[in-house]
Amino acid sequence: KEKRPKFCINDHVDILIEILKRLDGRSLGVAASVCRLWCNITRNDSIWEDLCFSHVSPSPPRAVRPVVVALGGYKKLYMGCVRPVQSRLGESERVGRAWTRDVEVQLSLSLFCVDYYERLGGGGGGGGGRFGGDASASSLMFLCKPVNV
Amino acid sequence: MKREHHHLHPNPQYTQQEVDPPSGGSCSSAAATAGTEKTKMWEEEEEAQDCGGMDELLAVLGYKVRSSDMADVAQKLEHLEEVMGTVQEDGLSHLASDTVHYNPSDLSTWLETMISELNPPLSNYDPQPPPPPPPQQSSVTSLSIDDSFLAPAESSSISDVYSSSHHHQQQNMNTPRVFEDSSTDMYNYDLKAAIPGKVVYNNSSLNQAHNIDSSSSSSHRNKRLKLKPSSINGPFGVPIPSESSSTRPVVLVDSQENGVRLVHTLLACADAVQQDNLTIAEALVNQISFLAVSQAGAMRKVATYFAEGLARRIYRLYPQNPLDHSFSDILQMHFYETCPYLKFAHFTANQAILEAFEGRKRVHVIDFSMNQRMQWPTLMQALALRPGGPPAFRLTGIGPPAHDNSDHLQEVGWKLAQLAETIHVEFEYRGFVAKSLDDLDASMLELRPNEVESVAVNSVFELHKLLARPGAIEKVLSVVKQMKPEIFTIVEQEASHNGPVFLDRFNESLHYYSTLFDSLEGSLNTQDKMMSEVYLGKQICNVVACEGVDRVERHETLNQWRNRMGSAGFVPAHLGSNAYKQASTLLELFAGGEGYRVEENNGCLLLGWHTRPLIATSAWKLDCKPAMLAL
Repeated sequence: KEKRPKFCINDHVDILIEILKRLDGRSLGVAASVCRLWCNITRNDSIWEDLCFSHVSPSPPRAVRPVVVALGGYKKLYMGCVRPVQSRLGESERVGRAWTRDVEVQLSLSLFCVDYYERLGGGGGGGGGRFGGDASASSLMFLCKPVNV
Repeated sequence: MKREHHHLHPNPQYTQQEVDPPSGGSCSSAAATAGTEKTKMWEEEEEAQDCGGMDELLAVLGYKVRSSDMADVAQKLEHLEEVMGTVQEDGLSHLASDTVHYNPSDLSTWLETMISELNPPLSNYDPQPPPPPPPQQSSVTSLSIDDSFLAPAESSSISDVYSSSHHHQQQNMNTPRVFEDSSTDMYNYDLKAAIPGKVVYNNSSLNQAHNIDSSSSSSHRNKRLKLKPSSINGPFGVPIPSESSSTRPVVLVDSQENGVRLVHTLLACADAVQQDNLTIAEALVNQISFLAVSQAGAMRKVATYFAEGLARRIYRLYPQNPLDHSFSDILQMHFYETCPYLKFAHFTANQAILEAFEGRKRVHVIDFSMNQRMQWPTLMQALALRPGGPPAFRLTGIGPPAHDNSDHLQEVGWKLAQLAETIHVEFEYRGFVAKSLDDLDASMLELRPNEVESVAVNSVFELHKLLARPGAIEKVLSVVKQMKPEIFTIVEQEASHNGPVFLDRFNESLHYYSTLFDSLEGSLNTQDKMMSEVYLGKQICNVVACEGVDRVERHETLNQWRNRMGSAGFVPAHLGSNAYKQASTLLELFAGGEGYRVEENNGCLLLGWHTRPLIATSAWKLDCKPAMLAL
């Protein structure tokens, strides 16, 4: 009897990518710990891109990608901005506001940009006091802080 | 810590001076001679590290006290003080004539000796906690002093004290002595407050003090006046061994009643200042200072800043106009981070500018508030991501001169240029240093013809400063018109702090800043919060203490600005729903949006705390745009 060849997902990386693209952030993090292949795949920024913008109905213009990449990449955008924003806003009651996701994305992008800007070293020395070489992005700190309940 | 030593007098002098409470006159701080040591001790106790045997700091001064004994020694010192107070005038003279001197370096035993020497009538001194005084006519709460200024440190209400002191008029002609407070005094009176013993020295009532008898609670109250002028600057957490307070009768005070009284006193003082009745005003300022202490949190801070402003006005110690811009920039950065007001301002203004620039290929933003550099990265990013690609973005920043001659405007420009390069936006930057906006002229800005380049003008919290000088605002508005902007975004405080009557301004600003401080209370980063409070405190000082050209914080309401812009030839441009959505989402992100409210008012957006709007963003365009060819 002919033995059917075993199907191993790791042999089909493109399918694997399609699947992983649809995971949420936490699962993606877990997937990254499965094996080296999966880890490499999750390091690929484009997977995070879908994560960031999957909820946005018209997908964002192509212009977004180079900007995001230049500012640090989708994974960073997700971890630093999109996820905290979503979780913070997800807590509050929002009834039937279709525009919310768009605005969330816009806000996340803005905050991401601010974060990048703040991390920029000073130009001709000093760079405006506390921002010169300051590792922590102050403007985003409020996202990390627990919300006053 | 600075302290006022020169007001310490030995006990006997008290009996001679009378201080009339309502018109305090020159009050001097009172303490017994032992009090100096006591305060010093308390202070050092606070600073003392716990270092095993002898307390180090006191050892430096020559006193040998064990750290573990500190509380005990402190109690004894107070006790000694009481004792010395009760002794009749000639009773102490033997100390002077006595040839036996005790070595005070072993403080503990020295105190014991002194006390037993002077102590015949005090055998009934009862170190156990007395029964709490029965509730008298005004309500009372218990005294508990925790380690930080945030704890409700209560002090007794003044009117109670005064009424009881009048009651005791026949017994003692002394009225309670009021501590002098100069609001700039750094005396750490917190320590005194921790000592729930006498701060007022009233000879005969001191006798009663030791009859720990609940029936004499009215006299207790007389003594329990904790006169605590507070120091202005921020928190002074003092680890006070409050356990020692258990041996003393406690004061009970209603802090809410005090809050109302505090506001009334503030207004009364402002009124006195307005009528140039400076002696009354001075006394009231002192009262404010120690009433303020009975409050917690925002009210206390606001009251102290306003008291400082009033004191400066009374004593004519006008604050120097903020010349150190780098410092105020730092403060503003903290303010930016602590609360959403500035972020709100930036986002809404940017949204308006973005919408006005739709479809334009080259855009030029002229920023009057270049110290607010955080506004532009987000605009740049929004421009980069707009459908159709980014325009060429030119930014002209106008800012005040830096004190250290550093070219901070250029630094900002450099960073923005880096960002622009990263996100592929063609960027051009020019910085102008101008001491005041009305020094500007449109020709300096090298504007390009309108078909080529669209202009937007932006001003965040800058226009109100122009109102200090006549004609300045009109000049600036006409210069803006010359620039022919597509849009002119203005963010200003929503308050009426520019009325002609001082008392009205005071009243308005009291409510405004109370609300603002309240909204800051929820923030978690204490350092940011403190800096924001200093930032706002400077504004308060300016509103209250300065006049004429120096008074630059001349906030006006949205309607007043509407009138002004209307008569200058501008028409309102409505801020779209996008701006509203962004603002609401931003507020939700920020501290859950609790308390903050976005309101739309005829095309302008107002951000407020609960029901009180605090800042307003509005957008304006030119009334008629003549079809023009480049002129």
